[in-house]
Amino acid sequence: MKKKIASRFWGGIALAAVAALALAGCGSSGSSSGAAAGGTTTLKLVVADYGTGPANASAKYWGTIITAFEASHPSIKVNVTSIPWTNFDQQVQTMIQNKQYPDITEGDYFSNYAQQGLLYSASDVLSDPGNLLPAFKAQGTYNGVQYGMPFTTSSRTLFYNKKLFAQAGIMTAPKTWADVEADAAKIKKLGKIGFGLPLGSEEAQAESMLWMLGDGGGYQTAGKYTINSPANVEAFTFLKGMVAAGDTEPDPGTVDRTPLWEQFAQGSIGMINGSPALIPIIQSAGVLKAADWTSVPIAGKAGPLTTTLGVCDNVAAFKPNGHEAQIKEFLDFAYQDKYQLAFDNEYDLLPATTTAAKALASNPVFAPFLTALPNSVQYPSDTAWANVKTKIQDTIGTAVTGSPTTVLSQLEQASTTAS
Amino acid sequence: MPALRRLTPLLWLGPAIALIGVVVLWPVVVMVQSSFQNIGGDGFVVGYDGTDDFRTLFDEPDFISVLERTVLWVVIVVAVTVLISLALAQLFNQTFPGRTVTRWALIIPWAASVMMTALIFRWALDPNVGVINVILHHLGVVKHLGSSQAYWLGNPTSALAWMMAVAVFVSLPFTTYAILSGLQGIPGDVYEAAAIDGATSWKGYLAVTLPLLRPAILVATLINVINVFNSFPIIWEMTRGGPGYETATSTIFMVELKQGNVGESAAMSVINFLLVIVIVVVYLGTTRWKEQVDR
Repeated sequence: MKKKIASRFWGGIALAAVAALALAGCGSSGSSSGAAAGGTTTLKLVVADYGTGPANASAKYWGTIITAFEASHPSIKVNVTSIPWTNFDQQVQTMIQNKQYPDITEGDYFSNYAQQGLLYSASDVLSDPGNLLPAFKAQGTYNGVQYGMPFTTSSRTLFYNKKLFAQAGIMTAPKTWADVEADAAKIKKLGKIGFGLPLGSEEAQAESMLWMLGDGGGYQTAGKYTINSPANVEAFTFLKGMVAAGDTEPDPGTVDRTPLWEQFAQGSIGMINGSPALIPIIQSAGVLKAADWTSVPIAGKAGPLTTTLGVCDNVAAFKPNGHEAQIKEFLDFAYQDKYQLAFDNEYDLLPATTTAAKALASNPVFAPFLTALPNSVQYPSDTAWANVKTKIQDTIGTAVTGSPTTVLSQLEQASTTAS
Repeated sequence: MPALRRLTPLLWLGPAIALIGVVVLWPVVVMVQSSFQNIGGDGFVVGYDGTDDFRTLFDEPDFISVLERTVLWVVIVVAVTVLISLALAQLFNQTFPGRTVTRWALIIPWAASVMMTALIFRWALDPNVGVINVILHHLGVVKHLGSSQAYWLGNPTSALAWMMAVAVFVSLPFTTYAILSGLQGIPGDVYEAAAIDGATSWKGYLAVTLPLLRPAILVATLINVINVFNSFPIIWEMTRGGPGYETATSTIFMVELKQGNVGESAAMSVINFLLVIVIVVVYLGTTRWKEQVDR
């Protein structure tokens, strides 16, 4: 009896110790993907998922390209892994920390990968790197060389539900913060959410930046982090007032973009900042008709923004597996205009190459977004950004319930430490 | 020959020792080593940086509150789990029709992936369509769906309470079975003797059952403490430690730190590891486990 318990006891301790260690973050090392036998090379492609469901999953879009590519390039195989946006950065980072390098990623790109010498430059792996939109060259450049290759771009606008606006008796589109606040309060009276404010970890850095821009603020001034600038503090103080008045959804600091966009598509939110990617979500929900919603320039403190946040998602080509020639074959193939246009039509996003942009210039839906792109403001692109962005995503949402000054100062502190 | 014979036990012990060395000891060494190195978000070791990682960690504005929350989390979850399990084990130790089926049913929360359970609860708590909120709405507890009252996971206090409930739910099967096996090891004649001495059933429970259950409770508590301390999937899937880090325990905090600074994250792991050891030693000391187990 006592022996039995003792052995069970120690067995339990040993088991628990193993479990504890496994969870204490000792990453496993694994084999990297590499050239297979028979002269075939397998490329590992990791992409972010832009789809709203299985029907338009990104793996499907890439599957079409890969099938055509493999047919004409029998010695190269491509394995595609698609990761939802909520986990993309973290999973790619974990692969890199564990030295399980992908060959190509399409999604977020960070200059610290270039700093570590992990990436091929754009001119290494593209025959015509000059075709990438020049407006996005700077954000992908590290030490004068372009590593981040834009694959798709988008810009932000303010979407609002015209039906709810009419019900609330609002005649004009919101142009200023005061408009947003007053309109949100009226829509709240209808029992709906006035303004959808996604400050949860999924994309808090984008929503925050749109409000900072509204007051002439931003993450950086002349290349230096100024997250706790007076303009930014003022923007978050304004948001805090909206949250306290119940003009937004409850507890914005924990609400992610995707579920909130879906709620807008269901007609239960008056206003929300969105990108063209919100359009297919509205269409597939089937609740709002084309006449029930519209999008206008983002509201600023004194008037609509003349610049907006331009976001591009990048392709990055990783060196460690040594597949330079094969990556170049694949990227030249995937960057063809027809695939760029197919992507833009599927997800209502904008192209990232000059030739594809020209082909879309006459399209009435895309044209206004395209003309705005060259003037767009972008995220910082220094090597500290990856770290700073994570901190922003984790904590900036608490600025609208706690003290804006404290939270923004802590972020400023973290960003200067990281720089 | 006799010298060789003396080595034969090694043949049987060798694989186990090697396994412990590779799976338990070596990671500890690497963990401690990493906590004194400068390792960025990309996993490259830049070199040793002394105690910088620990200093950065201690300077995190949320560090102290994360530790306090971890202690609260462990104490409440384990205490509630053990209390409920004691009652459940007592129930399952009785003979009643359908006992086999209910005993099987108790395993389900254990057999199901914890991550799945956490996800199910997260969706059940959705402020607009979650089944728990819909039921509470019909009962009149939640006035409006979609209101901040219905958004249990948005407020740190209610989010923690719900996550503790889920943690208790998934810890019950193991604990109940551990105590149940202890109960079955108590011979019936002890109770007869107690009854002859005039013990009521409640007195008998306090004077006979509980003391005899001590080894089982000891083991169950200890393993639960370690498990709950390191509990990751529940909080990760339900709130990711948010808003901010206000529902993060030290394990979640460690994972969040890992994205930007592996060295600092390793420092957090070392602190975690030391804390578990301290808790275990203190617990074993106060319960005088040697007497219990060797008796």
